[in-house]
Amino acid sequence: MDLPLPDRAQCAEEPITTPGAIQPHGRMLVLAADDGHFVAHSENWPDQAIDDTIAALRFDRSALACGYGPVAVGTVECGAEIFDVTAHRQGPLIFVEFEPASPTDGTGAPIYSVARRFLSSLQQAETVAALSALAAAEMRRLTGFGRCLVLRFDSEGHGEVLAEVLEHGYDSYAQHRFPASDVPRQLRELYRINHIGVIPDALYTPVRLRCVDPAWRPDMLDLSYAVLRSVSPLHLEYMRNMGTRASMSVSIVVRGMLWGLISCHDRAVRCLSFQTRAACEHLGRLLSMQIEAKEDNEEVALRLELRRLMLEIVSHLADSDATLQRLTDTPAPLLRMARAQGAAIVLDDACWTVGVTPAPQQICALAQWIAQSAGELYVTDRLAELWPAARDFQATAAGVLAISISQVHRHLILWFRPEIIRTIQWAGDPRQEVRSSDGRLHPRRSFATWKEQVTGRSMPWSPSEINAALELRQALIGIVLRRAQEMAEVATELGRVNKELEAFSYTVSHDLRAPMRHISGYVDLVLDTEGEQLSERSHRYLSHVKEAAAYAVQLVDALLDFSRLGRAALERTMVDTQTLVDDLVDELTRQEQSRVIEWRVARPLPRLWVDPLLLQVAVRNLLSNAVKYTRDRDPARISITGISTEEGDGLEVSDNGVGFQMKYVDKLFGVFQRLHQTEEFEGTGIGLANVRRIIERHGGRVWARGELQQGATFGFAIPRRPQES
Amino acid sequence: MLKPILLVEDDKRDLELTLIALERSQLANEVVIVRDGELALDYLHREGDYAHRVEGNPAVILLDLKLPKVNGLEVLRVVRGTESLRSIPVVMLTSSQEESDVLSSYELGVNAYVVKPVEFKQFIATIADLGMFWAVLNEPPPGSVRPLRRAQP
Repeated sequence: MDLPLPDRAQCAEEPITTPGAIQPHGRMLVLAADDGHFVAHSENWPDQAIDDTIAALRFDRSALACGYGPVAVGTVECGAEIFDVTAHRQGPLIFVEFEPASPTDGTGAPIYSVARRFLSSLQQAETVAALSALAAAEMRRLTGFGRCLVLRFDSEGHGEVLAEVLEHGYDSYAQHRFPASDVPRQLRELYRINHIGVIPDALYTPVRLRCVDPAWRPDMLDLSYAVLRSVSPLHLEYMRNMGTRASMSVSIVVRGMLWGLISCHDRAVRCLSFQTRAACEHLGRLLSMQIEAKEDNEEVALRLELRRLMLEIVSHLADSDATLQRLTDTPAPLLRMARAQGAAIVLDDACWTVGVTPAPQQICALAQWIAQSAGELYVTDRLAELWPAARDFQATAAGVLAISISQVHRHLILWFRPEIIRTIQWAGDPRQEVRSSDGRLHPRRSFATWKEQVTGRSMPWSPSEINAALELRQALIGIVLRRAQEMAEVATELGRVNKELEAFSYTVSHDLRAPMRHISGYVDLVLDTEGEQLSERSHRYLSHVKEAAAYAVQLVDALLDFSRLGRAALERTMVDTQTLVDDLVDELTRQEQSRVIEWRVARPLPRLWVDPLLLQVAVRNLLSNAVKYTRDRDPARISITGISTEEGDGLEVSDNGVGFQMKYVDKLFGVFQRLHQTEEFEGTGIGLANVRRIIERHGGRVWARGELQQGATFGFAIPRRPQES
Repeated sequence: MLKPILLVEDDKRDLELTLIALERSQLANEVVIVRDGELALDYLHREGDYAHRVEGNPAVILLDLKLPKVNGLEVLRVVRGTESLRSIPVVMLTSSQEESDVLSSYELGVNAYVVKPVEFKQFIATIADLGMFWAVLNEPPPGSVRPLRRAQP
């Protein structure tokens, strides 16, 4: 709402429980609870009737306990009239109320019909709304009031009409809302403890109480439970403005709170017997219990459903690498558990979304604001009112529920609910001016439908949804912590293995090269010193020994390079492969001046998020392979194209060279795997293994296609840079 | 008289090949051979077996990286950390081209880092160049060999 409701503080000060007067359709006597002495009476007793009446009362004062409503204590005759008598205790006093007697109905009494009819139908009602409709109908049947409403109070105290039963000619208030100010706070409290209130005639003149015991004054008599209690003049004015002559309210109290009211109105005077009132009160209690049970069931069912969704999310995450952005792998349960249309995972400046959400940079800004202003939970159904920047995306995210997973980092999960522009039908304008020229407070005069449009709001987040989000938070923290510990263990193990590997390759590089050098050295010495005496054959043998030693050293060096590629830290930047490829093509062309190579380099080639040095090694390998295996082609054709797949971006290098059989494709990328004899094509056979290792270290994939003598295509793709704000 | 070349090498074959290379390079310097890092330090500090050797630092130390007891990097560290030894040229002669070894050697102030070539002719050429540069051509710091060099035309 945009405008505040009028201040009804004045109402809240009214002494409604101690008005010092009663309604005139009955009479009252007040006695002391201890010795039964006479304390006060209403001023509508005939002369001398009081003493006789007191003498005629037959009930056990000590049987009455505080905190309970009136009980029937029989009838008394007073002159020609017969009165039904009810009594209740309030503090040290006993209030005895006398109302004109109504005939007893025996087992036909209203309370029995409620038990028979209403109770059985209640059990079949599926929803709170259906229960309310039954209660309204039963109330009308019991009492004959022209309009019976069932109202529910929302969290702000506004009354919403859930069910209505009308006699022909009464205005409908179905779907209307009554502003909270219609039922002042202390009246609400009174409704909570005294479950029934009746005003048979709003045009009555109150009958004052008079105290005969000098220890008491009329304004000290607490009439909270008295059925005859005179009500506030404001309340009577409210009724008259509403066109109501008689009214009754029966409280619906759920879990000790005033949940709502059964509110009955009639244009004519309407008196209810004690028995009917007892039946109405009973009906109210039955309805309260049913609502409580129904709400509990719904709550339990909802909690079960939420828990199931949460388990689905959490178990998926636990099976994955447990990074929070994996939550977006299961969008359906993630959205359903909060009944949201969109959700986002924010890890510092990176953002992943599912469903309908604001733009990533807007989400990141929001996450920053939430992280600064809230703790583990942030929830609102009116974000733009609290954070004006949210007006830009009010339509998709008027409501936000956010949980924070880390105290150190900005790791949040946010759910978004769209704006719902609601039209609320008020039973009269809740902001209507209520102070008249005499400065006195009046209740509003109009009950004509007054529509209000509420914007910038989403559906509110229910306590069970908020609770589920908090449970999810706990579960996620558990997983993240456990995974962090596992990662730490793996890292330690990896570190150890890496150290071993380093030590191993260190040894290899020193100790394996030395004997090769010695072989080569001593062969040279033999040739130097004894060369002239050796046969040509011996010369040839010795040259093979030397070549073998040199090749062994080459292999050792290649293996060491390969192992180094696996260990070097990746230092990624955005690399323009166009420049990279152009430079390599120039270099290879210079090296192979004797050959005719037709290079076809597509433009533009992609930009990749890679370590520039390692990528250069990989691309150089692919290009020099293409040059090498097209050696006997004239002209050799080598083309380089960019590719873009779901996995990422990359390059493909195709040639018209010797190719390979597809059945060996899996061997191509293995270490020291060769498909050709060394005499045919030189090299150690480690080039493609290096390419694969480099690409896989970037999280990418390599592939090859080929046909014998028909050329080959080698390609790779590397995942794109993670989205950032 | 020329200052000697200190050759620190544990592998007997490498030692033989290096000595042949030095011989063929026709350097006039005497070559002092020690077989591990500890002995190298004893020689330099004139301790232990070398307590009674003639005073004076070698013209150059040819130091293998992998050595028993005290490895080449540790010998280098001591040389660079000792006032009287600091100015001796040190050439690291090794089998390895491991980046970390090269880096550590240069951080410790090695004068040259040489990976022993597999090809024997190259090896001889390398040793000859090294000997020529560090033992003969390089201008040693004052107080090491200058007067002697002047005396020798």
